[in-house]
Amino acid sequence: MTTAPGAFTESFVEAAGLRIQLRHGGSGTPLLILHSELGVPGWLRAYEELARHFTVYLPSLPGFGQSARPDWIVSIRDLAAWVTWCARDLKLAQPLPVIGTSMGGWIAAEIATINAGLFSRMVLVGPAGLQPEDGHVWDYFMHSNREAFTQAFCDPANAPEYACYYGKEWTTEDEAQAEWNREMSARLLWKPYMRSHTLPALLGGITTPTLVVWGREDAIIPVSVCQRYARAIPGATAHVLERCGHLPEMERPEAFVEVVLDFLAA
Amino acid sequence: MVQDVYFFTEMGYTAYPQDEARRRGYNNLMFPNEHFSPERAQALYAMYFDELLYASEAGFDGVMINEHHNNPLSMMPSVNVIGAALARTTRKGRIVFLGNVLPIHDNPLRVAEEVAMIDILSGGRVTCGFVRGLGQESLATNTNPIYNRERFDEAHDVIIKAWTTPGPFRWEGRHYEYRVVNPWMRPLQKPHPPIWIPGVVSPESVRWAAEHRYPYVALAPPLNTVDEIYDLYDEVAAASGYTPTSEQRGYAIRVCVADTDEQAYEEGRHFFWQLGTSFGIVPRHWMAPPGYMSRAATNSRRQQMRVGATNITPGGPINSYEEAHATYQIVTGSPDTLIKKLEHIIDVVDPAYMILWGREGLMSHEVAVHGIDLLTREVIPAIKAYRADRERGRQRATVSR
Repeated sequence: MTTAPGAFTESFVEAAGLRIQLRHGGSGTPLLILHSELGVPGWLRAYEELARHFTVYLPSLPGFGQSARPDWIVSIRDLAAWVTWCARDLKLAQPLPVIGTSMGGWIAAEIATINAGLFSRMVLVGPAGLQPEDGHVWDYFMHSNREAFTQAFCDPANAPEYACYYGKEWTTEDEAQAEWNREMSARLLWKPYMRSHTLPALLGGITTPTLVVWGREDAIIPVSVCQRYARAIPGATAHVLERCGHLPEMERPEAFVEVVLDFLAA
Repeated sequence: MVQDVYFFTEMGYTAYPQDEARRRGYNNLMFPNEHFSPERAQALYAMYFDELLYASEAGFDGVMINEHHNNPLSMMPSVNVIGAALARTTRKGRIVFLGNVLPIHDNPLRVAEEVAMIDILSGGRVTCGFVRGLGQESLATNTNPIYNRERFDEAHDVIIKAWTTPGPFRWEGRHYEYRVVNPWMRPLQKPHPPIWIPGVVSPESVRWAAEHRYPYVALAPPLNTVDEIYDLYDEVAAASGYTPTSEQRGYAIRVCVADTDEQAYEEGRHFFWQLGTSFGIVPRHWMAPPGYMSRAATNSRRQQMRVGATNITPGGPINSYEEAHATYQIVTGSPDTLIKKLEHIIDVVDPAYMILWGREGLMSHEVAVHGIDLLTREVIPAIKAYRADRERGRQRATVSR
C-alpha cells in the first residue's frame, strides 16, 4: 500500500457493516485520523505530510461525508464502538497511533477509557467532551454552516485551506454536504451539548500516552479546556499552538505536523 | 360545504421596538426579552380576550388558538393556558387548539391531562390539534430537531392511547417511557376530542394526517399550492381505503373586512405588522435547524415557493403585502368583495372548516370589533350558504391523477 508523497486513494469500503468513504495514503505503519463534527473536506496538507511517515487512514465517520448513516449510531459511545470494529475490519496493525479532532478526539478518548489495546499513542486536537470552566462551547446549532467554518479559524482570511474548502463559492452539493454533516452532529451532540457528564471521571482511567493539542484562539472550545483534558488523563502532555483556531490541522498544518511527529516518534 | 367558521388572532405582542429588530435582523428567539412589558401584555390580553369572547358570542362557531415560543408574534406560549381561560370565559363555541406542540414535551401525558381537563371545563368544546412547532421552537425549548417527527408521532400515540385504553398500562417507546400510564383526568368527548393537523410545509404531515383520517388544516398558504396538499391527502386516503370529504379539509386565511374595499385594504396592512412581514424575520438556520425539515419537504414545490415567498425570511420581508393579496394569503374587502374572494377559496379547497384570521397588529379594537360584526352578520352566513363549484374552482381537477 505504498503511494507517492501527496498521492492518496479515495474509495468506498465495507467496514464494520457499513459502506464508508475512506481516504488513505502514504506508507509505513498505520495512523488513524478521526475527524471533527464538521466532517473532513479532503486530503488535507497535514495528512499529506503525515503520509510521508505513516499510512494515513482517514475515514468519513458514519453519518458524515459520503459514508452510510445507520439509525443505530446516536451517540459518541456508539461511534467509539464502531471505530474499534472499523480498525479491526481494515486490518490495521494494533496498537496504532490515532489523531482525533474535536468530536474525533472525544471518540478516541472514549475508546481509550475502555480499551487500552487499540491505540499506541493518542493525539487529541481540541477535543470535545468536557465543559469549559469558564464560558461555553460555541453553539453550532444556533449558527449557520458558513458561520461555523469561519468561527473555527483564528484567521480565515490567511488560512489557505479555509479558502480552498470553505471560503469559496459553495455549490448546491457543498451546501447539502455541510447540512448532512450538521444533522449527524446534532444527532450525536445536541444534548448535553458537546460534552459528557461522566467523561471527566472516565478520562482518569486512560493509560494510553496522550498529547492534547489546542489552538490558542480556539473560538469553538475555549483553550482553557486544554488543561482540563491534560489534567484529567494521567501522564498527558499539552501543546498550545499560537494564532490558531479550532482546526489546527487546517490552520497551522506545518506546526501541527511537527508537534504530532515529535510526539509520535517519542 | 363550510360547516363551521372560527375566529383567530395570533395575539401579537405589538409593543416591541421594531427598529431594534430591524437592526438585529431578527425579531424572535434571541430578541432580548427586556423589550417585553408585562403591563403592556396585560392590556393587550384584555383587548384580545374581549375580541375572542365577542366573536364567540356574535356568531362565530368558536375560536382558534395556538402556541409560539420566544416570539412577539404571539402572546400564547401555552395553548393550554389560553384554552383553559377560554373554557370558563366563553359560554359557547368550539375552542380549536392548533395546537399543542408535541415534540417539545418530555412528558406528553401532561398534554393528555391538560387537554382532558379543558375538555371537561369547557363542556366538551375542545378540538385538539397537534403540531411540530416552528423550527426555532426546537431551539427555544432545546428539543433535538433530529427527532422532531419521531417525538411527534410517539407523543401522539401515547396521548391517544391514554385517552382510549383503560389504564394503568406501561409505555416503553423510543422517546417516551412510562412505568404507569393512568391519568385520572380523561376527556369528556368520546373517544376523545377531535384531532386536527394544521400545517404549512411538510408533505409528511399531510400524509400522516391522511393516514390517521385527521382533518388537515392548511394555514394560509399560497392558494395555488393547495392542490399539492389535498391531492396528496386524497392519494394517501385512497391508498388507505377511504375517500376524503370536505370534513377532512380545513383552511385558515387572513381576512380583513371593512365597509369599503379601500378601508379594508388599508386596515389589512396590520397583518404585515412586523417589519412588513406577517410572521417576523429570522435567519434561515433558525427556521430550519438540523434535521427539522426532511429532504422531501425541502424539495417540495411548496417549500421552494416558501423559500422564495415566505414571510419568515433572513434579513427582511420578501413576500410583500401586495404579493400576499395575489397569492390569496390575505383577502380583504367590503363584505360583498370578501364573500366573492372567499367563495373562490371555497371552490378550490371545499373545506368544512374555515378559520378566519381576523385581526392582527396595531389594528384598533374598534376596527377589529366592527370586522367581527361584518363577518358574523354578512360574510359567514353567505359562505355557509355557498355550494362549492369544484369544476370551476378546483385547480385540483386539472392536476393529473
